[in-house]
Amino acid sequence: MAMTWFSAPAPVARRVRAYFAPVNRTAQTPVLFDPAEQGGFSLDAPPAPWLSLGWIQGFTRKPISKTAPVLSGIPASPLEQVRETLEAQVSLEFLSWTKLTMALATGSQHMNLLAAASGAAASADGATAAAAVTTLSGSTATFVALAAADAAKFSAGSIIALDADYTGQTGFVGTPVSGAYVRQALTDVNYIRRVTFNVALVSQASSTGLTLAEPLPGGAPAAGSKLQAVTGFVDREGGSFYQEWSALFVMEGSQGERILFYYPRLQTMAGAQEAALPLDGKNKGGLARVLLKGQFLALPVTDALDGERVVCYRSFLPAAHALV
Amino acid sequence: MQNAKDSFYMALRTRLAAINPERTILLRGASRPGILAEEAEAPFNQLPNDVFVLRWLGLGVDMDLGSTMAAEQCEILYQTSGTQSFGGLDRGRLLSEMDEELVAIMQPFYTAKLNYTATPPASMLTKVFWDEPGFAPVVVKRDLLSRSASVMVYSYQEQGE
Repeated sequence: MAMTWFSAPAPVARRVRAYFAPVNRTAQTPVLFDPAEQGGFSLDAPPAPWLSLGWIQGFTRKPISKTAPVLSGIPASPLEQVRETLEAQVSLEFLSWTKLTMALATGSQHMNLLAAASGAAASADGATAAAAVTTLSGSTATFVALAAADAAKFSAGSIIALDADYTGQTGFVGTPVSGAYVRQALTDVNYIRRVTFNVALVSQASSTGLTLAEPLPGGAPAAGSKLQAVTGFVDREGGSFYQEWSALFVMEGSQGERILFYYPRLQTMAGAQEAALPLDGKNKGGLARVLLKGQFLALPVTDALDGERVVCYRSFLPAAHALV
Repeated sequence: MQNAKDSFYMALRTRLAAINPERTILLRGASRPGILAEEAEAPFNQLPNDVFVLRWLGLGVDMDLGSTMAAEQCEILYQTSGTQSFGGLDRGRLLSEMDEELVAIMQPFYTAKLNYTATPPASMLTKVFWDEPGFAPVVVKRDLLSRSASVMVYSYQEQGE
């Protein structure tokens, strides 16, 4: 009779894939990941609202919770132990530079460099921006409808930032991710578009609007939202704002098994750092790939199941037919 | 281990037929995808041009596991002298095409393990998996450009194998 099971050795994995989702900062609600229902998702199509950050390297988990023994007797000996502190850190290196990876790897706001208005005075985080254009009805996550005169200001290859005008509000701003926390009212009407994560590359421009290479993270633009051209990105060492994300790391084993690490709340805990990886190991002074280094502090959540405070969930989905 | 070798070869053959159905070889009167296992054919005086040839070399086993793991080294050889219509001046381009095809058929880096001695082939429980190929420099011999790539193919021995 043919065997219907096998004894699976420890998983053999090639690399780690990372997914992030924005924590709702106003409601202080992390994004939930259910490994029972969602654990088998296609690595190229994560469940909403998770965003793929691609493959990463140097993924290291460092539990730094402290435990202490409760001593009893003479001479004292451990009776039991208690957890004194709950803390964990995660570090990794991103293999690409994008709006999202750059933002995750910095300790503060991450801003879009809006295309400057003609003759604007220089500024370290981008001069006064050229006027924004208003989206029209009929826009979708991959197509931004514009008036012909506005569409003519963009071309294939343009990067755009799309969000609402800043109107003097305080608190968290930006859609769909809180890009900054405004403590006191500002004067820059473009501030939200400076910090928004709702950016995309234009793949085609026509007289009716812009077709985007990838969907806008915020989905179809809200009525009245505006867009501006972006020339690049900038972050600063310093500041008081901490990015906060829910994170999911997936290791897929050679037999189809999966190890999933779900961190409900991760905050960047280090300033912007880079690592140089030589392309040719024998020529360390030659060409090198510049990797973004990310270092995160895991913050606790209370598990509704039993009220325990935890910082990470590690799930294992065994290979088919593997003994458990 | 033979099931792993067969499964690896058949995976590459199926992928090659999908990527470039025009790369074929006439062998024993039949037209087949242009990839073959050297040890399963009559000995060659000279490797055929424009075809991938799999040659199995090293073998290692790790028996300190729940299931014994086998690591089998596969060398994939290929060569071309270009086409007659271009007087062989396209041999560099054709070798690049074969480089690209080999990279493409290696992915994904795993395939299901099947027992090809059964008819139809019987699915087994584990998967065969491998690492990225390591490419050797091109060897130039008159008008012939040849290259080899080495890949380590891993599998778990199942009960009854």
